[in-house]
Amino acid sequence: MQLSDRVTGAVLIALGGAAAIFGARLPAVPGQDVGPAAFPMLIGGGLALCGGLIAFGIGHSFEVPEEGDDPAPPGSLHLGPLHLGRLRPLIPTALLFFYVLAVERLGFLPTAAVVVLLAAIALGARLRLAIPLAIIAPLCVHLAFYKLLRVPLPAGILPAPW
Amino acid sequence: MHDLLEAFRLVAAPDVLVAILASAIYGLVVGSLPGLSATMATALLVPVTFWLSPIAAIATIITASAMAIFSGDIPGCLLRIPGTPASAAYTDEAYAMTRKGQAEMALGAGLWFSAIGGIVGTLSLVLMAPLLAEMALSFSTYEYFWLAFLGLMCATLVARSSPIKAIASMLLGLLISCIGMENPAGTPRFTFGLTDLLGGIEPIPALVGVFAVSEVMRAMVTAEPPKLPKRKFGSILANQWMLTKKYQWPMWRGNIIGIIIGVLPGAGADMAAWVSYAMSKRFSKEPEKFGTGHPEGLVEAGASNNASLASGWVPSLLFGIPGDTITAIAIGVLYMKGLNPGPTLFTERASSMYALYIIFIIANIIMIPLGIMMIRAASVILRAPRAGVMPVIILLCAVGSYATGNNLFAVVLVGLFGMLGFVMEKNGYPVAALVLGIVMGSMVEQSFITSLIKSDGDVMPFFERPVSAVLAALTFSALLWPVGVWIWNRIRHPRLPAGGATG
Repeated sequence: MQLSDRVTGAVLIALGGAAAIFGARLPAVPGQDVGPAAFPMLIGGGLALCGGLIAFGIGHSFEVPEEGDDPAPPGSLHLGPLHLGRLRPLIPTALLFFYVLAVERLGFLPTAAVVVLLAAIALGARLRLAIPLAIIAPLCVHLAFYKLLRVPLPAGILPAPW
Repeated sequence: MHDLLEAFRLVAAPDVLVAILASAIYGLVVGSLPGLSATMATALLVPVTFWLSPIAAIATIITASAMAIFSGDIPGCLLRIPGTPASAAYTDEAYAMTRKGQAEMALGAGLWFSAIGGIVGTLSLVLMAPLLAEMALSFSTYEYFWLAFLGLMCATLVARSSPIKAIASMLLGLLISCIGMENPAGTPRFTFGLTDLLGGIEPIPALVGVFAVSEVMRAMVTAEPPKLPKRKFGSILANQWMLTKKYQWPMWRGNIIGIIIGVLPGAGADMAAWVSYAMSKRFSKEPEKFGTGHPEGLVEAGASNNASLASGWVPSLLFGIPGDTITAIAIGVLYMKGLNPGPTLFTERASSMYALYIIFIIANIIMIPLGIMMIRAASVILRAPRAGVMPVIILLCAVGSYATGNNLFAVVLVGLFGMLGFVMEKNGYPVAALVLGIVMGSMVEQSFITSLIKSDGDVMPFFERPVSAVLAALTFSALLWPVGVWIWNRIRHPRLPAGGATG
């Protein structure tokens, strides 16, 4: 997910510009000079300006190179741009979206078990660890949040024993 | 006096004491696991605070954050992996001490000077807050605007990144805070027709996403940290009194730097540790020993990061401006519990404020025995496989964010902010600035627009009032500081391309 400064700068210019333009179209409050449009226009303009400066590499000299965060030293493991390994960071978000879509229908316990199981396997856990974890963790979380904190977690097809 | 007694009564309630003990253990464990930061520990506590009394809720946050900042030193010292970013500054030093066979002294220094730093920081909070509260009573929207703006600028200044990228992150946060109809005019903005967005974006899902989910994402692409070999520790506190006497001056300097950085809005414990470690090396009589397992920097930076925790509460309690990312969460909890930040908190709810001070002191005192137990248990706890911890974190992110409003949309936001935080971090955009932008956005806009309406669109009142003039001058110097540094570098090294950074 390492992008060049030109790309991130361009994204910021587009975002800031869009915010300023759509912000300017917001209806004014009658009888007042400054309305809801002022702040988004200001922020959007500033964001576009920053995006421009970043795209031209200004301020790059202040950056401290990130230490020890890059797992693959250059030349060790080259993943192609379409290699599936590149999508690994998306797994947590995908699991959260799965949770949102499934929890009402399946209920908390099965959904949470699937989320924990897949996350553990994605992180390289053996099944000997992943399966007990996928059974115990949802039960503990359900007990803590449903019973103690009274969060209405959906029961779905597999209601909890308490 | 009556307030003080009342405060003791509030703290001595059984639920508060249980909350302190439980959150202390929680904070120690979470802080010691690499990749789980003190901010994340606090963010995941929020749903729990809903069901606690106000004092117990605040006690959990104070205790858990103080413990997590200390216990981040443990894996740093034993494995050379900081448990929290606040320990990163002196991890190499502590690990060098372990290799020299002085692991007990390094861990003990982390523990002992953390506790001292925490207590000194609390004293600064006790002394500073009421004085500033007097002053803050006369503040109007102009001063609040500059304070909030200054806070945002400080957050960008101290980020260890390009100041322009930091400002861009902050502006992005402010833009996110524009979403919804919580603006002075009550007009729905940038909602894209989604009713879920009408109420705006709450800081909690954003925080959980940026600090917790993005950490799980990073775990997906990095290698598992090495396992800690089993070992027995000798006496942890044996040499600490000797160190205290020998490095008394660096210790005080660390405390004071920590307090100052904590009070600065937006700059927190990690920054305090970096600055203090650098100061310690700069002013040491034996700078050549730094990096080879020399305790001096450890003393100074270890005190500094815990001192900043308490003083970070000063702007939070007085103005509702977070001193760091932990207090950004705490402010939300304060509002929820009816302890709205502001100068009147110190006059009308004095007993609650005294209770807060007492909790800080208790947390830093029980840190010593609990910390020793934690160090002895570390070889067991740090063996917990990452593939077993991170899936539970994901589950807690989902349930915790859902619990804040019983709304599944918050879980979607957590996922989206996780991706945003991951991409930003990878490309050198500081995420703390983004979070502060989101937390403070409505306050900046409210004070800015109200001030403009009051003055009929005239900008002069922003500079005419004496306090606001001073704050404006500070803000502009913060804004122009990087430009000055850049010009200075250009004049001194005209031949070199700026900084000579190539990648």
